Amino acid sequence: MAGCFVQKRIQKEILTLKNSPPPGMKLCDDSLSSPGQFMVEVKGAEGTLFAGEEFKLLFKFGQSYPFDSPQVTFVGNQIPVHPHVYSNGHICLSILTEDWSPALSAESVCLSIISMLSSCSEKKRPPDNAFYIRTCSKNPKNTKWWFHDDKV
Amino acid sequence: MEPSTDQPGTSHSTTNPISDGSGENNGQFECNICLDTAKDAVISYCGHLFCWPCLHQWLETKPNRQECPVCKAGIGKDKVVPLYGRGSTNNQDPREKLPPRPQAQRPEAENRNPGFPGLNFGDGSFQMSFGIGAFPFGFFGTLFNINDGRPRPPPFGGAQYQDEQMLSRVFLWVAVILMFWLFFL
Repeated sequence: MAGCFVQKRIQKEILTLKNSPPPGMKLCDDSLSSPGQFMVEVKGAEGTLFAGEEFKLLFKFGQSYPFDSPQVTFVGNQIPVHPHVYSNGHICLSILTEDWSPALSAESVCLSIISMLSSCSEKKRPPDNAFYIRTCSKNPKNTKWWFHDDKV
Repeated sequence: MEPSTDQPGTSHSTTNPISDGSGENNGQFECNICLDTAKDAVISYCGHLFCWPCLHQWLETKPNRQECPVCKAGIGKDKVVPLYGRGSTNNQDPREKLPPRPQAQRPEAENRNPGFPGLNFGDGSFQMSFGIGAFPFGFFGTLFNINDGRPRPPPFGGAQYQDEQMLSRVFLWVAVILMFWLFFL
């Protein structure tokens, strides 16, 4: 039962992103070939430090989605320089791990990330970037994140 | 939120349980977890609609943090109200249905095997214990074993005496070899 309803829910999210994408988001059609994952292009909001920049977010959905959060990372050449984004694309955002709720969706995650980028006041990498990218696992969900800064 | 259509009449169609996201029934009666029309619907005190199986699975996922997935208000089996529509065939409380009470369990019967107590092959696991007891007391026990009910040693020089000496040496060597094997291999 669980398996088919997961696929159905992911299909619904894809349809919503395709048919009525919120401003600043675009589903990458060429990323739909592999099941259980897709890419969304997000634009930095106007009037912020990231205005005019475009980034790609890769969503990977596990078997226990939506009860467990998807794996979300920035991919491609453009990784935003932000105090909560590591240069390998990993994002330190509480809703991606412990604050996840099944009522959230790919769309609301994108919105949170755009909002996180928008409230940035200084473009810089996290202080432990060099150490983290050397030691971290490929899956950001294996990282034990420590959420401390709710301003940016 | 999907843009609302200006045809309110289409929203009560029951022939279309799977909305394709085109905004036909506005997602008003969709479960907040599976995004499908809520089956065995329950509504939280905070007003959010779920399928009971979906909500139940979420409550199982986070047993020590039971929050509404939408607004993070407190939620639980006793904090939701079942919803009975006109079209529903049976008015059984959904909370009593699908994932009902916890499954009954069948624990393994306790093994009261009167055989050798240290070796227990019965339940698939192999256990063996090896101990040296309370060392000094055992030691004194062997030193001062006066009148402990054992037969007296055979007289010196007899055939039985020879045999026992020989046996005792054999066991000594077996013990030495065993110790060697235990500590050095």
